[in-house]
Parts: sequence; structure tokens; C-alpha cells
Amino acid sequence: MKEKELLLQALAGSNADYTEIRIERELRNQVQFQKDKLENLESSSEFGGIVRCLKNGGWGIAVLNDISQLQQKIEEGERMAHLVGEHSSEAAALAEVPVVQETVHAELERDFRDVSLGEKKELIASYNRILLSYGKRVVSTNARYTDSFREVTLANSEGTFIVQQVPDITLLLVAVASAGKTNIEQGFESLGSAAGFEFVLGREEEATNAAKRAVDLLSARSVDGGRYTVILDPGLAGVFIHEAFGHGCEADFLFKNEQMAKIMTVGKRFGNSELNVIDDGYIPGLRGNIPYDDEGVARAKTYLIKNGILSSLLHSRETAKKMGAIPTGNARAVSYEYEPIVRMTNTYIDVGVHSFDEMLAGTDKGIYAVKAYGGQTMFEQFTFSAAYAYEIVNGELGEMLKDVVLTGNVFETLRDIDMIGDDKELYGGSGGCGKGGQSPLPVTDGSPHVRISNVMIGGK
Amino acid sequence: MNALLEELKGRQGELYHLQTRTLPVEFRSGKLESIKSKELEGVALRVIDNGRLGFGTTTNVKDGHGLVDAALATAAFGEKASLAFPAQDDFPSVDTYDQAIVELSERDLVELGEDLIARLERASSEVDINLSINKVVETVKITNTSGLDAKEERTSILLSVDIEKAREGDIFLLFEEAQASYLNELQVDRIANNLIQQLRWGERIVPTPSRSLPVVFSPAGAICLLLPLVVGFNGKSVFMGTSPLRGRIGETAFSTDLSIADDGTIPHGLRSSSFDDEGIPTAHTPLVSNGVIKRFVYDLRAAALAGVEPTGNGSRSGFRSLPKVGMTNVTISTGTHSQDEIIAELDEGILVDSVLGLGQGNIISGQFSNNVAVAFKIEHGKIVGRVKNTMIAGNAYALLKESLIGLGNERRCVHGMLNTPTIAVDGVNVVGQVK
Repeated sequence: MKEKELLLQALAGSNADYTEIRIERELRNQVQFQKDKLENLESSSEFGGIVRCLKNGGWGIAVLNDISQLQQKIEEGERMAHLVGEHSSEAAALAEVPVVQETVHAELERDFRDVSLGEKKELIASYNRILLSYGKRVVSTNARYTDSFREVTLANSEGTFIVQQVPDITLLLVAVASAGKTNIEQGFESLGSAAGFEFVLGREEEATNAAKRAVDLLSARSVDGGRYTVILDPGLAGVFIHEAFGHGCEADFLFKNEQMAKIMTVGKRFGNSELNVIDDGYIPGLRGNIPYDDEGVARAKTYLIKNGILSSLLHSRETAKKMGAIPTGNARAVSYEYEPIVRMTNTYIDVGVHSFDEMLAGTDKGIYAVKAYGGQTMFEQFTFSAAYAYEIVNGELGEMLKDVVLTGNVFETLRDIDMIGDDKELYGGSGGCGKGGQSPLPVTDGSPHVRISNVMIGGK
Repeated sequence: MNALLEELKGRQGELYHLQTRTLPVEFRSGKLESIKSKELEGVALRVIDNGRLGFGTTTNVKDGHGLVDAALATAAFGEKASLAFPAQDDFPSVDTYDQAIVELSERDLVELGEDLIARLERASSEVDINLSINKVVETVKITNTSGLDAKEERTSILLSVDIEKAREGDIFLLFEEAQASYLNELQVDRIANNLIQQLRWGERIVPTPSRSLPVVFSPAGAICLLLPLVVGFNGKSVFMGTSPLRGRIGETAFSTDLSIADDGTIPHGLRSSSFDDEGIPTAHTPLVSNGVIKRFVYDLRAAALAGVEPTGNGSRSGFRSLPKVGMTNVTISTGTHSQDEIIAELDEGILVDSVLGLGQGNIISGQFSNNVAVAFKIEHGKIVGRVKNTMIAGNAYALLKESLIGLGNERRCVHGMLNTPTIAVDGVNVVGQVK
């Protein structure tokens, strides 16, 4: 039987109030060098599926690798949904959305599935040589390439049937430099896109920059902890807006929580009127793209903050129904192992009017923080490590600083953004976003340079 | 021999086969939200062809041809193989399987969650509780062309709770988890009691000064100090030259009160097993004895590169990944006093249970600088309230050598791999809230 018929027949046999099946095929490759060794060269394939049933307001979910079990998994999903419905006074329901029947093909300039393993290996080997040969102080490297081509089919009991091809390609270049046993530093460049093999070509300059930064950081000074005026580069500002603010707009964490919902009420002021924050489900080539989300809802360009005012949250069909909102196409699953949850796509602060030079000129004493090692938030509290930084003295960039960790309360910090640059950049990165055990989800974030007064920096 | 290995036609190969059944049950805002049944099966194949390594994985366990072809295709460009697959060995007898967990039904898990939520809601009003409970039953099979044919069944149960208490201008988020390989060892009471106590301690927010202070890391908080060591004792990092401990075996690099072992043989241990993910017997490996660096841990490949014996630390995260060096149960020596007694000795300090941004700085060097997530102020030997917007910074290596002031007398299994008591150190740089 053809796969489509198999899915439609399984759906027709379900007794749940709502049933959805998502199946996925993936082909992926990885090439990784560490120091002078080829660490991994891998070619893998995957097939799996997930069934989600809603019955009496309860969710039952079943995951499989073997399609011949589909019927049985739907019955299992139904049975568990029924049990949840029995036990919970909180009934889930779904906002209505248009039925969609569509196939979305990936359009790649140079399809990485047609590139030989040998060519992929040679390219990454060449970047690794650049990292390693930068100087004696480079003691180790990590040069990693990944590609993944997924074909995801979504079918639900309302008649939606969508097939989407999802390409993803990443390149991570890390140099580790050392000067004595405890002085060890890293420099990295992390790139990712929903593009073809052309995306990873010509990255020699990034490799050189990663190695140079690792070596430069060895002699950089540790920042002194305290409060500073800080200019964030587009990379770090993008991570900030994603981590510290974007996650707070994901309606699934607050739709059953009145206290939280009150804090994140649409119409509240969160920043000055120059501040606009957007989540956009499709910008050509970007890593966070999803023409349709994993509930079959079409992408949207959603203003989270418009002119400083909270303008919308990000929704799944369930959160939208509960909160009386319109689904925004943000229900995403990292793979067939997981049910969709509310996630960001391509998230950024929109451009303002100030030049970087203007920001610098108005800063007597501050810090210019560049790129993020990582970040974490606990609702209102956030923390980020800058990859590197420079001090700002009397409007000019000074010496390089390290161990710069920014922390604070997101609401205060958004209000303290006093200048937004005219120079927006968006980054895919080679990692991804993690939430609810689902990681790494491909996302993009970005921003212009932004200046924030009064940021707490933890130093040595 | 396994039929798939026979398709290698005389080449060396290793097949790792993993079947996993999980049953996550999720509660949101105190109410049951979903139950999920997950059955996954996949295989990973490593081959050596013309002296070169290849690797591939698939979920299509019936299509041996496809997997062999994919792995051989990578071997054509692969690394020169330094390792050899191990022959069958005598494995230590380690208990990893509890029938009581296998028999737990979804209804049992739902009731366990409902009971705990009811208990927490009775103890504190206006809290929002998310809870998840999951049982895991997995079967690992490793076979290779050297004659290894190993199989083990493992069980575990994981319970995690986060609580949020929102008030005007303040949100207090608490997190606790318990994990066990055997059902009757799941510490539900400890989770409940800890959360209730921390909610009570957190009712008041107190200011922190900005200066050097003693910090008491609870077992859960101790990861802040121990994470750099997990990286530093990794034999691969040592071989690659990125560990600050390279070349320092025999050196007293830590306080003489501190001993650390990696032990994959602990009865009912969370990361205990009879063999590692490459079929090497697990072991008790001393890393630090009374402050002196003893050994590092290795998987097959790192051991071959470094010219040492593997220590049973080949670790895979599921069937999709190549084995890497991974710790099993990292066991820290205990002291003589309870956490309460350690706190009672301090005139002023901070108790840290969790931090934000763990491991996101330059952890190789031991440096940490984190905003506290759940932490409390100690004054005159007592907890006086919660601290927030407070950074703690220091170097784990330096603190564990020069500034260790106490180890608790009771170990807890936290973060899956640490088996640690409370660790108290002096001289942590604290940056408090200014306003």
C-alpha cells in the first residue's frame, strides 16, 4: 500500500476526537576533526513516526520506528488520551485552522546529498589545517560539519496532509589555545543555514578568526565584576532576545498559569518605542524556517514587541484556543520522537536608527560584548557569557576582556536598552535551541548592535 | 555470529543495538496533561576496512545491507584505525534491572505524580507545579567480530518537579529531581521535603554584599565545582592537551580531604552497568586520592591513542552517536558533618542549590561565573532568606585545592552522574544586587 493511503486509512480508523500522524525520513552526514585526527565520518539514516490523539481533552502520544505498528500505536495513543481525559479537569482543545494539502520542496543551490563524502572531508580538513597552523599556542581544534535532509509528512484527522523537505547544514570551527596549564582559551565560529553545500564553502577567514581569537584571549584581561553600560554585538543581542525574552513569549508555559499570563499581557509596555521584536517563520535561507509548523499551521511574521509594546505571544493551536488568540505557526517538534511544543523560528530585534560609532561615542566607560558562548534564562532572570569583549573608555574601544558574563532581569534590561543600531545581522549557528528535552532545534536569531545601560557583569 | 556482521565478509566490525521503551507522563500547572509511549530501536555499526574506520547508524534494523554500505562508504575516507574491538570478557556482576519498574503501568505513574502534587499543594499555596515522571526500560546488545556477544537490560525511573511562586515583582523558581534504577530507591520524600523547606526559606528575599564569602554548595549545586573536573579527567582531553591536568599524575592538585573515583560498578548506580558502550568491563577508577591525581578515564580510542588501557568509560548517547569518553558514577569522598552542621559553623555565607548558565563559560580552565538560581543567605549559622540577582565566581581547581572548608557526610546522586556530598568552600567572589 502506498504510504499516503496507509496514513489516511490509519486516521480513518481512529476513534479519538483529533488524531495526527507525523512520519519522518532523515539522511545525515557528519565530518569532525579534532586536532590532527579525523574524529568522526558518519553516514546515517532514520525513519520514525509519532501519533498524537486528543480524546476527552487529554493527550495520548505514541512513538514508533516500525510503520507496520501504526494501527497499534493509534490505539495506544487513544487509550492513553482517554486515561488523561479521565484524570484531568483541564480539557485541551484546538483552535480552528485551515485544512492544508501541500508539498514543500527544498530548493538548494548545490544539494549536499550530491556531494561526495571525500569532498566534504577534504573541505573540513582544510579548515582544520588553518585552525591548527595559526600558531604554536593552538593546542587543539574542533572542526565539525553536519548536514541533514529530512522529509516530514503530517496528516491529521481534519484532512490536512503536508509533505515538507527540511534541509539543514552546519559548520563549527573551534580553536583551543594554551599558555601554561590553567591558561586555556577557545575561539569559535558557528554557522548554520537551511541551504546547500555552497553555504560552507569559502570559510577560510572564519577559521583564521577563530584561531586568532583563541590566541588573543590568552593575554586578555579578566573583566572586573560590576555594573556597566554595555554594547552588545548583533550575535550576542540576538541570543539575548531569543533566550531572555523570546522564551517568555512562548504561550505554552503560561497558558495555564494566571500569574505568568498577567505578567505577559499583550498591550503592556516592555521597552522604548524604538524597540521592535519579530519572530518570522520564513526568510529565504534561514535555519529557523518552517513553511508549515508541525501542526500544519502556515508560517507567520509575528511582532512580539511593536514600538515597545507587547503585541503578541507565540502559539500552538492549543494555547491559541485557550487564550483566545490566533495560532502563529510556532508549534515545532525537533524530530519524530517528540510532540510539537511552542518554539521560536527566526527571531530578531528590528533595526533602529543609531550607528555603532554613535553608540561608542556616547559611552564614557563601558563594555563591548561580542558573540555568545551560551545563555540560560529562568523566566525573568537571564545570564549569558560573551565569547569575548572589549572595554570602552571615553568613547573608544580599548583592550580585550574575557570572562564577561552578563546577567540581570529581562524586563529591567529591555527598558534599559537606550540605543538600537541600524546594522541588523541574523545568525543560524551550528547548535540550536533546547526546550523540554527537545534539542537542538534549528533556529535563527539576530539584531542590530544595541546599547544597554546598567548591566550587571560577573567577573573573576 | 550476528548475520549483519557476517555481511562484512571478514572485515572487523562492531554492532551496537539499542531498544528503548519510555513512558513519560506530564503534568502542567498541577494537572495531568499527556502520556506518551515511546518505543525506539536503532543500530550503530563501526567497521574497519583496509585499516580505516567507518561509521553509520540506522533505525531500519531489518536493512543490514543499507547500513553496511553506508558504513563502508565512510570507511573509504575514514581515519586510520588505532583501536581493535575487544573480545568477550568476564564482566562484573552489576544489578541494573528492576522488574518492579518494568511492571509500572501508566496509571501507576499518574497516581505517583498526583500524590506528590497534592502533597506540595497542601504545604504551600499559590504555587504552580509542573511535574514529569518517566520510566525507562532498555536493552543493549553489543556484538563484534572479535567474538564479543554482550547483552544487558537496564531500568530507571526519573521524577522531576518544578515549582514557581510568582508574586508582584518576584518569581521564585525551584527545581528538584530524583532518579533511580530501582523503584524502591526513588526518593519521593526527599524531593517533597526539600521543595517545602526551600519554599519556606524563600519567603523572604535578603540582600547580598559584594565581596569574598564562603559558599556551601548543596549536592545538586556542587556540579558548579565538579563540572570542570568531569572535563579535566577525560583521558581524551588529556591526550589532546586541553585538560589542565595533563602531565600532573602524582601531583597534589586538590585538598588532601578530597578523593574522587569514577565507579561504573556501584550496585544500583544510575550509570552502573556490567560493560560500557564498547563492551569493556566497567571498573572502579580512582581519579584523586587524598588530593593526589591518580588516573584519567578512557574509552577504546582515547586509550589506543594515549597508549594506555581503556577504563570502561566508552559512552554513547543513544544509538546515533559514536562512543566518547564519558564518566559513569563520579563519587566524591564524604566528610564528618551534615549540611546543616556545616552551615551552623558559618558566620556569613551563601548556600547554592543551582545556578543559571552552568558550564557556559570557560570551564576547561575551571573558571566559573554564574548568576545563582536557587540560593540562600547564611547568617550566624542559619538560613535567613533567599538571594537573587547575585553572581558567584571563582576557579573550581583553585577552590578545591586551597579553600575547601567542608564535605558533607551524606552523598546524593544528582545530575545523573554525580554521587556527591555537600561541598563548602571559602573565598568565592560574590557580586550582590546593588540596589
